Amino acid sequence: MTNVRRSGRAEVIESDICIIGSGITAAMVAEKIAEERQARIVVVEAGDETVPAPARAGGRARFLAYGENPWGNDHIDGMTADGIQSRSMQVGGLAMHWGGVTPRFSPEDFRVKSLYGVGHDWPVSYDDLEPFYHEAEERIGVAGEQGPAEMDPRSKPFPMPALPLTYNLERLKGWTDSAGIAMWSQPSAKNSVAYRGRAVCCRNDTCSPVCPVGAKYSPDFTWSALRASKRVDLLTRTLVRRLVVEPGSNRVVRAEAVRRDGGGGAGTPVEFRAKTFVVAAGYAWSPHLLLLSRSDRFPNGLANRSGTVGKYMTGHRNVSAFVKLPLRLYPGMNEQHSLVTKQFMRTGKLDRYVRHDLRVWESSVGRRPRLKGDDGSILLGDDLMADWRRRSTEGTARVRAYYDVIPDRESALTLHESATNQYGDPQPRLTFRDSPESAALRGYTEDSIKALFQRMARAGNGEIIRSGVDDFQDHPAGGCRMGADPATSVVDSHGRAHDHENLFVVGAPTSVSGGCANATLTFLAVALRQATEIGKEFSARRM
Amino acid sequence: MMAAWPLLGRRVRLAVPGVAPNASLLEALGDAVLPAELGPDGTTRAVTAFQRWMDGYRPGAEANHGYGTGRIDRVPADPRPQWRAQLAALDTEARRGGNSFASLSRERRQAIVRTTLAGERGESLPSPLAARHVAVALLAHFYESSLATDMCYDAQIGRQQCRPLAAQAQQPVALARRPR
Repeated sequence: MTNVRRSGRAEVIESDICIIGSGITAAMVAEKIAEERQARIVVVEAGDETVPAPARAGGRARFLAYGENPWGNDHIDGMTADGIQSRSMQVGGLAMHWGGVTPRFSPEDFRVKSLYGVGHDWPVSYDDLEPFYHEAEERIGVAGEQGPAEMDPRSKPFPMPALPLTYNLERLKGWTDSAGIAMWSQPSAKNSVAYRGRAVCCRNDTCSPVCPVGAKYSPDFTWSALRASKRVDLLTRTLVRRLVVEPGSNRVVRAEAVRRDGGGGAGTPVEFRAKTFVVAAGYAWSPHLLLLSRSDRFPNGLANRSGTVGKYMTGHRNVSAFVKLPLRLYPGMNEQHSLVTKQFMRTGKLDRYVRHDLRVWESSVGRRPRLKGDDGSILLGDDLMADWRRRSTEGTARVRAYYDVIPDRESALTLHESATNQYGDPQPRLTFRDSPESAALRGYTEDSIKALFQRMARAGNGEIIRSGVDDFQDHPAGGCRMGADPATSVVDSHGRAHDHENLFVVGAPTSVSGGCANATLTFLAVALRQATEIGKEFSARRM
Repeated sequence: MMAAWPLLGRRVRLAVPGVAPNASLLEALGDAVLPAELGPDGTTRAVTAFQRWMDGYRPGAEANHGYGTGRIDRVPADPRPQWRAQLAALDTEARRGGNSFASLSRERRQAIVRTTLAGERGESLPSPLAARHVAVALLAHFYESSLATDMCYDAQIGRQQCRPLAAQAQQPVALARRPR
C-alpha cells in the first residue's frame, strides 16, 4: 500500500491519494475510489479509534441510566471552536452520533436564485446529483418510502423498504391528512431488513446517540471493511496542521502533521506526500485547515484567491411546536421515527420567499409523570400514577420545520486571534449570519410556519402547547463553497480547488446553501460526484 | 389506618454501606411513594433497581454531548451522602412522634414526605440525578422505567427495549392479555 520512509525528523508517508478526515463523507469517497480505481489511499484522522461495535450496548445502557457519553475518546482537548460546533473527532466523525435521517433536498434547493430570486444557485442541479443520491442510499443503506412523485422525484426505488409507521404515526398521519398535508415515512439510514451484514432495527430507540445493534449506518462499518480488504490505510491520532504547495507550481506537495503520541506533548512530526489531496474534514476543520496553510506565498491560506475560504457558512433554522391532540398515543413505540413531507419545499411562484420541510413525531411533552398536581400538591403513591393515567388519554405531536437561511458572505469561520490548540495553531471561530434578504424575511417566515402549525392544530381539534425557534443553524455547512466562478467560490462543482489542481474539498464544506432538510445525504451525493472526478486521474480497477 | 409496611425486614444488599442510603429506610420510603399496585414484590424490585443504579454511578463521568455545542459536561457529584442524610432526616422527623419512619403507616410516611417536599420547585419529575431529594430521585428512577410506562398505559410497549420492528405498526397489547 503506502510507502513509509524518513526525511530528517519527520516520517514521510507516500500514497496516491491522501484523505484528511475519516467522517462519513471521507468514508464514502474512500470506498468509491477504492472500489473503482487502482490507487494507494491513506486516510488521516486526528482522533482516536471509535468504540468497537460490541461495546456499544454497554455504552448505551450507561447513557440511558446516567446520561454518560457512550462514545469514549470522541474529542480532543483543545481542539474546539469558538461558536456553534459539535465535538466529535474520532474515526467516523460526527456521524457516529447522528440520527440516521436521510431525506434528499428538493430540486428547488439548488436553484433558489433562478426560481425565487434569492440567495445563490448551486453549480449542480438535482438531476446532476440524482444518481449519486441513489448511490449514497445504497452505500449506507437507506430505508424509505417513495412520496408522491411530484413532491419526491427519484429514478429508482430505495434500497430497502421503508421503516413501517408506528401505530402512533399512523394515527398522526390521519391527522395531517385532515390538515391537507401529505406525509410519509421518513427515509432513514436504518435497516428495515438485514443489509450488508448489519442487523435489522429492533427499536432500541436510541439511534442518536448510539445504536447498540448496528442497524443504523455509521462510517466505522465502511472503514472496517476497507481496512479488512487492505485497500485503505487509516492512521489515527494524527493531526494535519497545514498543506504545503510545491515551489514553482500550484500543486499541493505535502501535508504536514503531528502524531499525537510522543514528542513530549509537541507530537511527532509526520509528512504525507500524495498525488492528490482530499480535504474531507467537515464544515469546520476543512476551511480551518486551508486558512492554517497560509504562507508568504499564500498569506490568506490555500485555495483562497477569492477570499471566500471560511465564508458563506450556512445551515437551516428550526421552528417547532408541540400540539396537544385528542388521540391516544403510546410513548416509546419508536420515538425517533417520524413522518415527513416536501409539500412546502416544492412551492411554485411565491410573493415572498418561504420554503421549509415538515416533520411530525410522537412526543411526551405534557404527558410525562409529574410530582405536583394542578393545585400544586405533591403527588405520591397511587395518586401520581392516577394523575399520569388521566393525562395520558390524549397525545402530543411534535411538529418541526427547517427553513433555509440564506448565508451572508460574512457568515464565516475565521482563525481566532488568541486562542490556540496545544500545537500553537489558532482555533477556529464560527459566526453564522443571515444575509440581509434572509434577515428581512425571518419574521415573515417564522410567522408563516407558526400559522401552519396553528392550522394543523385546529384541523385535529388540538391546541399548541408551546412553540419555539432555535437561535442556531442546524446541519451547518459551507466555508469552501463550490461555484463556476473562481472569483466567488473556492472549488468547482467537482470539489477541485480553483487554485490548486490536485487539491479537493468534498462534502458539507462545499455546499452553497443549507437547504431546508437534514443535509447529510446531500453532502454524500455531492461527495460521491466529487469522488468520481478525483478517481479519474487513476487507472480503473479491473472488476 | 393502614398497617405498617410488611416488607421492612427484607433487606437489600448495599454495595457501599458507608455511602449508600440506609436500606430499610429506603424500602419504607419506596413503599410510601411508589404506586401500591406494584405490590410488595414489585416495590422491592423497584427499590432494588434504584439501589443498583446508585451503586453503578460514576461521579464526574463525561456526559453525553449533543449536536451544536462544543462544551464537555460531567455528570454530577455523588448524591448518595446527601440522600442518606435526607433519609435519616425523615426518620428523625418520624421519631419526634415516637416511632421510626419504617414503622409508620403508609399514610403517615406519605405525610412526612409531602411536608419535606413542600419546597420542591416546578411540577415535573427531574431526572434522578437532578433530584434534590432522595424521595424524588426514587420516584424519578421508577417513572423513567419501561415498566412504569407500560403500567400507565396498561399496554405492553417495552419502551427502549429491543423489539420486533414490524410490531410497531400495531396497537400494543394490553397488559392483562400479555402471554405469561
